[in-house]
Amino acid sequence: MDGIATRHWRPPRAARLTAAEARQAEFLFGGLHWRSERLIEAVFANLGYRARALPTATRADLMTGRELADIGQCCPTSFTTGNLANFLREEAARSGPQAVRDRYVFLTVGSCGACRFGQYHQSYELALRNLGLERFRMLLLAQDRVDQSDGAADAFQPDLPLILGAIWACLCGDLIQGMEYRTRPYETEPGATDRAVRDSVDLLADAFRNRPKRGETWGALAWHLATPYFTDALRQARRRFDAVAVDRLRVKPVVKITGEFYLHTVEGEPNYNIHRWLEAEGAEVYPASIAVWLDYLIRFAKQEAEERRGAIRHAGLRIAAAGVLQRALRLTYDRLRGALNHIPHGMPRQEELRALAAPYFHHRLSGGEGDMLIGKAIWAHRHRHAHMTCELSPYSCMPNTMSVGAMARVLGDHPDLLYAPIEVKGDAEVHALSRCQMILTEAKKRAAAEFEQALKTAGMTLDQARQRAADDADLRRATWKLPHRGAAGTAANAVLHMAGKHL
Amino acid sequence: MPRVLNVWSTHRFWLGFFGALGLPANRLVFSSDTSEEQFREFGRGRGTVDCCWPVKCASAHYGELMFGQRRKLDVLFSPLIYNMPSMLAGHVVDNLACPRVMAGPEMVRAGFTREKDLFAEAGLRYVAPLVTLAEPQLVAGQLFKAFDGILPGLTPAETEAAVAEGFAALARFDADMRGRSRHVLERCAAEGRPCILVLARPYHMDPGIGHEIENDLQNAGYPVLWSQYLPQDPALMDWLFGEEVRAGLMASPFDIADVWPSSYSANTNEIIWGAKFAARMPWIAGVIRMTSYECGMDQPTFTPVQAIVEHSGTLYFAFQELDSTKPAGSVRIRVETILHYLGRSSAGIIARKRALLPPDCPLAPG
Repeated sequence: MDGIATRHWRPPRAARLTAAEARQAEFLFGGLHWRSERLIEAVFANLGYRARALPTATRADLMTGRELADIGQCCPTSFTTGNLANFLREEAARSGPQAVRDRYVFLTVGSCGACRFGQYHQSYELALRNLGLERFRMLLLAQDRVDQSDGAADAFQPDLPLILGAIWACLCGDLIQGMEYRTRPYETEPGATDRAVRDSVDLLADAFRNRPKRGETWGALAWHLATPYFTDALRQARRRFDAVAVDRLRVKPVVKITGEFYLHTVEGEPNYNIHRWLEAEGAEVYPASIAVWLDYLIRFAKQEAEERRGAIRHAGLRIAAAGVLQRALRLTYDRLRGALNHIPHGMPRQEELRALAAPYFHHRLSGGEGDMLIGKAIWAHRHRHAHMTCELSPYSCMPNTMSVGAMARVLGDHPDLLYAPIEVKGDAEVHALSRCQMILTEAKKRAAAEFEQALKTAGMTLDQARQRAADDADLRRATWKLPHRGAAGTAANAVLHMAGKHL
Repeated sequence: MPRVLNVWSTHRFWLGFFGALGLPANRLVFSSDTSEEQFREFGRGRGTVDCCWPVKCASAHYGELMFGQRRKLDVLFSPLIYNMPSMLAGHVVDNLACPRVMAGPEMVRAGFTREKDLFAEAGLRYVAPLVTLAEPQLVAGQLFKAFDGILPGLTPAETEAAVAEGFAALARFDADMRGRSRHVLERCAAEGRPCILVLARPYHMDPGIGHEIENDLQNAGYPVLWSQYLPQDPALMDWLFGEEVRAGLMASPFDIADVWPSSYSANTNEIIWGAKFAARMPWIAGVIRMTSYECGMDQPTFTPVQAIVEHSGTLYFAFQELDSTKPAGSVRIRVETILHYLGRSSAGIIARKRALLPPDCPLAPG
């Protein structure tokens, strides 16, 4: 038996993580923005687990990732591989490889289909083998299970309260992020928004840490859907933003961020700190939310079941379940958003995104964000939610390059759509940002022209608008909801609102 | 039809399908093999994004069919092949096509429609349905929807029969090719000769993409097999993998989960299985790996494939980052190196691998 087992190459496999061991271990995870990561840590703590978000990846992690895994990786693979490797290397230097194996467990997504995103773990495993950390435990999250269990009764499986907590943490993290990016460009006291965000995240983390336990399955689900617990916590967070004074007459282009999931979600060196850079360049950032990605996944599952009737079992049941899930997600997101006075952006309807993208990209093409990138760009342009779309694509990303290519025809049909596809290699910052800046310059001109048009429509001069705004206490409050009056820019909408007009 | 991407492994399905619908083979026009000349003449300026050559060159195939034909064509048919019929179906998680390969036609189409509709100008109907060839029961519906109104009088029943004929034609072709591969191995076993296995994607058979590297080796007297057409008959599978299956190391001879648990991609899965086959088959003394520049599907497989092959003592040579231009000089030097090592080591490799397998070899009975 030994001879047969070693005759051919097989990668070493880590031992299974038992439920008892999970209570002693520390879970590592990453790849989201810091607000959601903080809240997910609190969710683990709430259930008696220890969890730690890896530090945001850096350029040094990129280099390590390239060095330790196979050549030709897309940059998210290099960043995340190097990020994990560097963290563990430092820990191993401090406490030894065996202690690292015993203490930590890495939780990652391991199965999503054709794109190599579903094969990241191969890179992690290779990098860890190269570091002498083979058999380090890594849990691959599938949509419905952790595939380390092999059906073993004693294996750790995340229960529904953990999954629901993580989803609610992402939704709340998204909403605080949305609040932040709608506020900071207009704050009159520099730093006030950042303070409000930090306080809000602390407050929400406490709420998640002390989340009441309401059953393991249906009870937990019903409680999450019905409870005012999270809306109450978000209302408290809103009060932190009440103190932030804003000047909404600053004319700024709104830049919608889209792209590959990791690059559009993280905030740091993996995407050249593009969120902060755009703000520094005078833009209002419309961030990409994790909630929209979840909504897309449900839409994709639903349409797969619809189109594979006859090839899969229980298609009708799957369609119905996906429909219910999608409604629950949207209702929950809107309810939570309501606690922040609907200031963070809402979720575009997936049906509309699909319909808008249909002439250019088939809705079933999978991997990455599929048709959603095209749909979002047209949606933001058509409904005047942004002056410009900045799409963050990893160098050599397989699905993203195809949708970027298909955008050529979109731009032919919509020549006014400002679109900046940025290829992110991780170490070519000047090139990427200068490319973005070219389109941003045009977006600034659009925002200025739109503001002029708004003044004209409102029949006001700039001075009159400033005077009216100075007298309007609501308009100076960050938590007051400015209605969308048909302009993409905040300043133009503010002028139109004061005059009771629409563009 | 553009002769690109997964058309290289499914063309017999399309010939069978259209033939059964009464469209004779001479009315089905494939573009020519890929070449730099073809790209210069028909593809230049039509690309909308930089990507791997197998996808990028599709613009030239479209252009050739639109503007390079003596006779006028009526339909440009370029299916979005979502998933693939695979010999590993049922043993792996999924059989998806690469995301670029499945979406490539959408990207290429954009290059011909961004200013104006050049398909309409060329008098062509552009038909590009999404087709799930790994789910045969859905294919008739997908193709009927695509051709309803284009092929006069087409009915769902006719489409269904034509799809069945397409799959039958593909199965016959695959069986024939596997039979030929087996025959090559039988000859090698009988004569104690080494052969070479090519691990690559189906479109590396295109002389403009794989650059015919394997031909130089074949010219030197080494028979060449492709991983897509390896024999699979039960006795041979049991001889190669049976002991490991019975020891619980693999669920079946076609199981690759022991080395590649994320088995989503059909072509990747077949490359991994081909590597396992090569590691066990005594007369495969050397493996040639071909990958195209920027291939994200191949990238995570570099180490596992090399490790699987080399752990068995089989020679492994990789031609990575293949692009539009044939690197003739470096290929010649590499081929000389490969021939040198094959000449020096093949006998020992065959003997060592043969000694690990049961004595009764189905390839050389008696």
